[in-house]
Amino acid sequence: MTPAERSRLIDSLLDGEISEADFLRIEAELLVDSDVRAEYYDRLKLQLLLEREAADDAEAANHAEATASRDATTTEAAVGRADLPTRRAAYLLTAAALLTLAASLLVILPRIVPSDADRASLPAGPLAATALPAESKAKGFALLGGQSDAVWDGPAVESGSLLPAGTLKLISGLAHIELFSGVQMVVEGRAEFSIESPMEVRVARGRVRAYVPDAAKGFRVLTDQGEVIDLGTEFAIDVGAAGTRVDVLDGEVELRHGGSEAQRVLGGQSQRLTAAGIKASTDSGEVSIVSPQEFHRSLDRRLVERVQRWQQRMASLRTQSDPIAYYRTDPADRWSRRWDNIARLEAEDGGGTETLASDGAIVAARRTPDRWGRPDAALDFSRTGSRVRVDVPGQYQNLTLITWVKINSLDRWYNSLFLTDGHERFEPHWQMMNDGRLFFSVKARQRNQDGAAAQHIFYSPPIWDASLGGQWIMLAVVYDTDAQRVTHYVDGKAVSREAIPADHLVDTIRIGAASIGNWSEPMYRTDPEFVVRNLNGSMDEFAMFSAALSDEQILNWYQAGNPHE
Amino acid sequence: MEPAPKRNDLDGPPGSLAKAAGDAPPPAACNAPPASPPSEAALIALLTECQLPLGLYVRSLMPGDAAAHDVLQQANAKIWEKRAEFQLGTNFKAWALAVARFEVLNYRKQQARDARLVFSQELEKTIAEELEHADDDLMQRHQALQQCLQSLKAESRQLLMHRYASAEPLSQYAGRVGRSVSSLKVTLFRLRASLAECVERRLRVEGGPQ
Repeated sequence: MTPAERSRLIDSLLDGEISEADFLRIEAELLVDSDVRAEYYDRLKLQLLLEREAADDAEAANHAEATASRDATTTEAAVGRADLPTRRAAYLLTAAALLTLAASLLVILPRIVPSDADRASLPAGPLAATALPAESKAKGFALLGGQSDAVWDGPAVESGSLLPAGTLKLISGLAHIELFSGVQMVVEGRAEFSIESPMEVRVARGRVRAYVPDAAKGFRVLTDQGEVIDLGTEFAIDVGAAGTRVDVLDGEVELRHGGSEAQRVLGGQSQRLTAAGIKASTDSGEVSIVSPQEFHRSLDRRLVERVQRWQQRMASLRTQSDPIAYYRTDPADRWSRRWDNIARLEAEDGGGTETLASDGAIVAARRTPDRWGRPDAALDFSRTGSRVRVDVPGQYQNLTLITWVKINSLDRWYNSLFLTDGHERFEPHWQMMNDGRLFFSVKARQRNQDGAAAQHIFYSPPIWDASLGGQWIMLAVVYDTDAQRVTHYVDGKAVSREAIPADHLVDTIRIGAASIGNWSEPMYRTDPEFVVRNLNGSMDEFAMFSAALSDEQILNWYQAGNPHE
Repeated sequence: MEPAPKRNDLDGPPGSLAKAAGDAPPPAACNAPPASPPSEAALIALLTECQLPLGLYVRSLMPGDAAAHDVLQQANAKIWEKRAEFQLGTNFKAWALAVARFEVLNYRKQQARDARLVFSQELEKTIAEELEHADDDLMQRHQALQQCLQSLKAESRQLLMHRYASAEPLSQYAGRVGRSVSSLKVTLFRLRASLAECVERRLRVEGGPQ
């Protein structure tokens, strides 16, 4: 093969237009000749860099356009701007570039979340790929550090997760945002903003307080009326339709308005950016918004209060009607492999524990933060083999099961909540189907007896989809033999009610050996419907009653333990 | 080989960003092992530094496959997701490339039915080893390329920029500029060859890594 031919083959290989015969030829050369590989790498680098240059070039053009339109109109709609790229030429050689690059690189991160679902929908093929470079131009990158009473327009954002790109609308409440440049922001709703890069945030409306560390000097906030550029430390702004008020709390900021000269504002000073220009603020008082530290301190205080209130209320709720078990994780004892049945501890004082469930034995499940965000206070069942083994000796006429659960995904056909070992007569099974339906059954008779179904399965409609991924929800099911019906509950509300067919009514429910979060070794291996499957998710509470709790009692349970309000 | 000193003398980013550049610590090299448990910010810096090597690596395993971009993004996501598993004292680059390799294989598995031409495992292994230990000379190459691009005719440059930035099919572009697709392809081949040569020449002149 001549060097020219070699180059041609490498070129068409990289262009994706090589024939199979040529592919095999060049592959053979690549394998045996390190010079050919060196040329291959060099050409790859050239391709990569050309793409980068081309992207920068396109951006430079866009930027020029944007600047021109800004000069022409002096104002610019936030929405229009959000689509504009923010990467700049020559960034490879500067650290600033690093930040910008980080932004463009990390825009993709919000796509991580439902990885399986995502991967399935991952665009493939030439069309998607050629379109992608244009889309991936930076929007921004930041974590939601915490939130208080935050209501988002759109899907809820969980604390600690990455903020999605594009315009974010906080309808009410406070949000603490950590940008990867080190900038800390508290945003108060109603606010509308977008994170354009770790160094640039656009605010269309709302109050924002920003703490800017040295490493992020030059951080800027863009508003319709102009720009606020931080030259160090802390400022608060209030963006409204009439203009932007800027209070410099500490350090110094620079204000820019249209083409006019930049103006420096020192700590303690207050200015207004309006469509007409920059002027001294005549507003009294200051922009009232807490600092990130104050925000977290108050969040911590509130959390302690709420957890206390929850525990007090649970103490009375769980004793109200025939508890068999109340499992809760003690965060203080993180290495304990026992899930204490608190109902048992309490009953032991008064005697009579024969019909109560045993303490749980934790197998493989790991500690994880609970719904209140307290570390080590929940069990994560996602590791294979995870389960809590329990023994429930009694025989019951009615049954109520309640749990707070965080499901990562329903990636198994059956996703266990609570299942007796095997599936014997009179035993309950509670789990979720992969389409999001809840499944509950009590086996009424042995299989194939009289040719009739052994059990009636009470399904709820689908109640879970990927949008609930990673969120704590409360699930409950009530098997009520008096009213002869089964009710499924989600977050305190009944989602389905179904009569128990007379020939499937079981008023001698037995449990015996069972698993929470998994299904243990079936007694018979011939039942093809079942596969051993652990729950891909976490639980921080599990309760069982030998009574049929009322709608109101379930709702109370939910309200007492709801971490979301 | 030491990376070339970071130059700051370009007509670079507008004021604020350039200012930040002056104050920020120098970025970590992609293959520099972090000294202490890296903070998230430090990991982002590392990952950012590794973008070109990662891109190069993914491309090398899927030449001419337009989905390489997606796979790279997916690899980035995976690296970020698994960041807790990165072992201190080990080579971040090697680790990141290993994750990326897995993503390439993963992608292939999904595409199995629509099989493309794929290198033999032996060749892939060789490529992986070589790229992992290769010097990162991409910065020098980028500088050289920028200079080489300047010496091109405007319409050649335009064709290249179009080819590498736009989603518009070459045939449409050909229609707009009044040329045939095949003649554009020939031109592109020549342009790439001459750019490759120009870059190599400049690297030699400037004593870049060889």
